Amino acid sequence: MKKSKLAYKLFTLSAAFLMLSCGGENHDETNEVNVVDTAGTGSDENFEDLFESPEIDYHLPSPLQVASIFKKSGLSYNSDATSKPDLVENYTTELNQMLNFGVYSADMAYCVLNEQSNEGRKYLQVITDLAEKIGMEAVFENKDLMERFDTNIEDKDSIEVLMIDIHERTEMYMDENDMQHQQAVHFAGAWTEGMYLGVYDFENNPEKDGVGTQIAEQMSILGNIIKGLADPKNDGMDIEWLIADMGSIENTFNEFESVNNYYEDPDAEELVLTTVEYNTLSELIKTLRTKITNG
Amino acid sequence: MKKTLTLLGLFSFAILFAQTATNLTEFKENIASQKAEAKTQLKPYRFDGSKVTYFNFKTYKQVKEVEIYLFNNTDYRFSFNGKSLPNDITIEIYDKDKTQGDRILLKTIDGLQGKNVLVESSELNDTYRAAKNSKGRLKRVFVDYIITPVPGAVNKKPTMKERGAVVLVMGYKN
Repeated sequence: MKKSKLAYKLFTLSAAFLMLSCGGENHDETNEVNVVDTAGTGSDENFEDLFESPEIDYHLPSPLQVASIFKKSGLSYNSDATSKPDLVENYTTELNQMLNFGVYSADMAYCVLNEQSNEGRKYLQVITDLAEKIGMEAVFENKDLMERFDTNIEDKDSIEVLMIDIHERTEMYMDENDMQHQQAVHFAGAWTEGMYLGVYDFENNPEKDGVGTQIAEQMSILGNIIKGLADPKNDGMDIEWLIADMGSIENTFNEFESVNNYYEDPDAEELVLTTVEYNTLSELIKTLRTKITNG
Repeated sequence: MKKTLTLLGLFSFAILFAQTATNLTEFKENIASQKAEAKTQLKPYRFDGSKVTYFNFKTYKQVKEVEIYLFNNTDYRFSFNGKSLPNDITIEIYDKDKTQGDRILLKTIDGLQGKNVLVESSELNDTYRAAKNSKGRLKRVFVDYIITPVPGAVNKKPTMKERGAVVLVMGYKN
């Protein structure tokens, strides 16, 4: 009984101190905040994580930038190439949902940049649905994004600005909730879809050298996507097959003669693969894309 | 006596925890506003994302590196905000990562503390071509944050005054 009374008093006093401290306006910067030695609670570990970035880090381009680069390279719109929105019902595991969140983000960027806003709207809807399933509903919760989309559906620039807002909100949400490790999973889906859309167009229009060059250039990102996927925080997602498949694509690419020649020539501006090399790379990308979108 | 000590210990913990939470909230709010400021400076380039690099000043020099991709036919602008720096740092931008002995220094930025500084990929490419005497272009850059040593810093128990961050916002020309 005595013990419980003491515990109650301690709790009350601690709570009072907490309230006073949180409400105070004066923050004495000289107060030592020992986040290491007060550890033992999860929140302190998170504080420490927040304040110490890794020694080596990277920035991956947004799906909109990738789509924009492909478009500038001559990529055409092919309505049959994108992943069908109704497949969303098949994605029941966390990994499938995250990967296809990325796939649909790339599809939405592709539609919007090609002035297919009505198609783009369908992808915004499935992205919103998937966000709810993967714990990111807060990014879309106000419904203002869909309203803005509908209001500006005829205005390509406004829709592109809206896409940037979605990207920024997603990035901020993941930063604030210590979900950065999952960004690589979303990006793996977006990257695969972007490459697939490039491959699809290039197969039908092999004269488009720019698209072929862009496919080769986007390969440079793959190493960091794999590193991100291999983050131990992603361990519970049965992600090994994805890392192995992407690793296999990277290894195959790095063994191409054109790739070796390109890196040995300091004056080389563009990497152009041979037809055989393109075909090999294309098959690997199509296989991976099928695995991801089939769930 | 034992109870009093326990009580004092718990009081200290509560104060410490509350202060940490307050400082953390304030720090995060500052970062968010600095990100917004850095983003404003990107215009007319299109926002592509941000990377906040957090660190603790220590008694020895540290280097943190961020790799950024530069794609063909695209111009980039990088907006660095140093308003969450309690001490100054140096930024060095290279063509290769820090393990490569033959890398080229493309740009140095001193005095970032309290400022927002812009860098464009075109100037980095010009420096690169001049140094290499070639027509090639940069396919990626490596941004190194050289975190200067601070005498008297508590390496194992960093305080808020030793914590710093650089906000980097990236944009591309559409």
